[in-house]
Amino acid sequence: MLLEQAQEQRMIRMTSLLGCKDLSVRFYNQKKQVLDHIDITIQDGEKVLILGPSGCGKSTLLSVLAGIIPEHMEAEVSGEVTRKKRVGVMFQDPDAQFCMKHVNEEIAFSLENRKIPREKMDEEIVKMLKMVGLSIDPDTPIQTLSGGMKQRLALACLLALEPDVLFFDEPTAQIDPAGRKDIFALLQQTSKRTKKTMVFVEHVLDGCIEWMDRLILLDKNSHIIADGIPKEILLSYKEEMEEAGIWRPKVYPAKWEEVVHNSSHPLNGELTQRYKSRKLWASCKKAEIEPIIVKKNAALAYKKSSILNNMNGSILRGEWVAVVGKNGSGKSTFLKVLANLIKLKSGDILLKGKSISKWADKDLYSMLGFVFQNPELQFINDTVFEEVAFSARQYNFSEEEISAKATKLLKEFGLAEYVDLHPFMLSFGQKRRLSVATMLLLDQEILLLDEPTFGQDEKSAKQLLHLLKRRQEEGTTIVMVTHDMDIVDQYADRVILFEDKEIAYNGHPYFFFRNKRGGIIPPLHYQLIEEQGDRYANEQSVLSVSH
Amino acid sequence: MLTSNQSYLSVINPAVKLITHILLMMMLMSLDDPLTTFCLWIFVIIIGISIGGWRLAYLLKVLLPYTFFFVLIFWMMAAFGKGENVLFHWAWFRVTEESVKNGFNISLRMLGFVTIGLLFTSTTDINKLMMSLIHQFKLSPKWAYGFLAGFRCIPLFQEELSQIKAAHRIRGYRNYGSWKAFSRYAVPLLTTAIRRSERMAIAMVARGFTGTRERTYYIKPTVSKRDYGYLISTLLIAGVIILFVGSY
Repeated sequence: MLLEQAQEQRMIRMTSLLGCKDLSVRFYNQKKQVLDHIDITIQDGEKVLILGPSGCGKSTLLSVLAGIIPEHMEAEVSGEVTRKKRVGVMFQDPDAQFCMKHVNEEIAFSLENRKIPREKMDEEIVKMLKMVGLSIDPDTPIQTLSGGMKQRLALACLLALEPDVLFFDEPTAQIDPAGRKDIFALLQQTSKRTKKTMVFVEHVLDGCIEWMDRLILLDKNSHIIADGIPKEILLSYKEEMEEAGIWRPKVYPAKWEEVVHNSSHPLNGELTQRYKSRKLWASCKKAEIEPIIVKKNAALAYKKSSILNNMNGSILRGEWVAVVGKNGSGKSTFLKVLANLIKLKSGDILLKGKSISKWADKDLYSMLGFVFQNPELQFINDTVFEEVAFSARQYNFSEEEISAKATKLLKEFGLAEYVDLHPFMLSFGQKRRLSVATMLLLDQEILLLDEPTFGQDEKSAKQLLHLLKRRQEEGTTIVMVTHDMDIVDQYADRVILFEDKEIAYNGHPYFFFRNKRGGIIPPLHYQLIEEQGDRYANEQSVLSVSH
Repeated sequence: MLTSNQSYLSVINPAVKLITHILLMMMLMSLDDPLTTFCLWIFVIIIGISIGGWRLAYLLKVLLPYTFFFVLIFWMMAAFGKGENVLFHWAWFRVTEESVKNGFNISLRMLGFVTIGLLFTSTTDINKLMMSLIHQFKLSPKWAYGFLAGFRCIPLFQEELSQIKAAHRIRGYRNYGSWKAFSRYAVPLLTTAIRRSERMAIAMVARGFTGTRERTYYIKPTVSKRDYGYLISTLLIAGVIILFVGSY
């Protein structure tokens, strides 16, 4: 207790050694300044979250404070910057932070840079792995780790630097929600133990906003519009945050306990209402629709090791199907099979009654579109217009027809003003929309999507889902791999869960979430009903005992 | 490729192993007698099987594609070579004793080169090799660590290429598998590669990497008697083979 007090006092006495005064930054290839006269001071031990719309310069601000700009990345910087000597930065791309093959070598790389003697390294490596909760053989190849584990390792590498400040540039943007929850819990735990200063840039707030000391909100012209206690800013800057496309926290600033126990809480009412509508939806009887895809005892293998066995079932015309499961459970591979990009090991999959491998490419792909996880890798032309028009040119449409169709499609997807740009110049959300648009020019009946909302801000994700929904209402069948259970709950007519190399569930999302299958975190309203149900059950049992 | 296979040869110091194999190749290059070349090739295979952890099945699998080149090179040299003693003559093919000998020599040399190279890559860990180059050959850490980081990208590169190919196929591009299409793939492939390398470089310097020799090392290969033993005995035996078979 005394020790804690002493520590607190020391923290107050310490002067700020991190911050900037009148900071402006401009990249040499751009006219506009990325940051414009920014003043920030960060106290020792503070946990700060920087928010703002994409392109507002929040990552740049982080890089300046961390010293990456202008030392390692060229830019015109004016104003005063005070930095800490030893910093650690965690980036969003798990794959681009490592330079070694094995876990121990990677942590050792940090230690080598600090000139730690060889004799002490093994001990340190074990210590760091323990600190981030990675219980794996230090000799494991990094390639075999999941995204969440890679970020854990990245944290271990940073802690091995013994930094004064830790910077995080969207550390969970590229990992699934379950992994994200994990990483945030780990970071919170680390922050409690080490009392280090931490500066975050994030656009998903659940799991981190709860333990931040301070929130800084930038607008799209890179001015600070709010700086203070997270709860207050969250309440008074609702519109600005919505405009910025920041995923609103689902519960915060309310407390989950309160929501569960107080049935007059507004969020409680809202969730109960949502639950009821889902229940109603699930009980609706569907008209008989013909199946469009039928799986017959299909089995999948990759390099001799089997991935999925005994796949049976069908997908109906016009359905929205969500494919879920853990990393590596074969979701993406399944999608590729449906597009005939990978061959089945045994069994068969029928598309409109004909085996998928017997379709000619030309007929198959004029009926079925495939949207990859990384949109950049599927762009094959120099302008946005040509990108959309490409398929039509391959099928020898007339020039007027191409122009009419492409323009209509681009309008629908909000890309009409960018027709002459190179696809790579678009923002992340626009790239994703373009990648979907390119697959719809031939009025494809089936659309396969591999995690279409991955790493996107809330605004672009909602826009995309809205477009897809409209397409579905017009009769397009949608099969989508996703980790986001809220999307599954809100949009899908059917969930297919892959678990233990088999289809473990195939049916309506309502029953899926009610029965809570392994490793899946159901949306809040299901959690609420479940916890209230538990409570009622407990009260009931108490009552019956007292009787 | 370039991972240790836990054999005896994989614990030999990579830098010493590299010199040994380069010298072996130079010896091979200087030969003009097919029989000696053949014996040297067999010797390398024997090393691979005895201390390099090779199995016959593995060897067949890896070398089989090269036998095609073997036949090709042999026929090219044999059928169009110069020489006095004509063995047979048919259409524009003129096979002479000298050209047959020459053909055998060149194609066996090619096989020998491939096998010596394979002996190195199949038993050497890339990380150890780079560290060994830093310590034994005074290579700058900037290059060594940069190369290691680049090496990590190769599997990612392959994955991306297959995705770009698939994207072209789905969009109705018919020549998605051909060489002509490769120029189409090059742009997105290079852009993502350049961006990734930039990110990687920043991540490395952000972790305190300076590229100078002022650092400690987790893996520090040293040269022992065993390494010299491998160098000397291998070259010695090769020398004896050349002398003995060559004069025979």
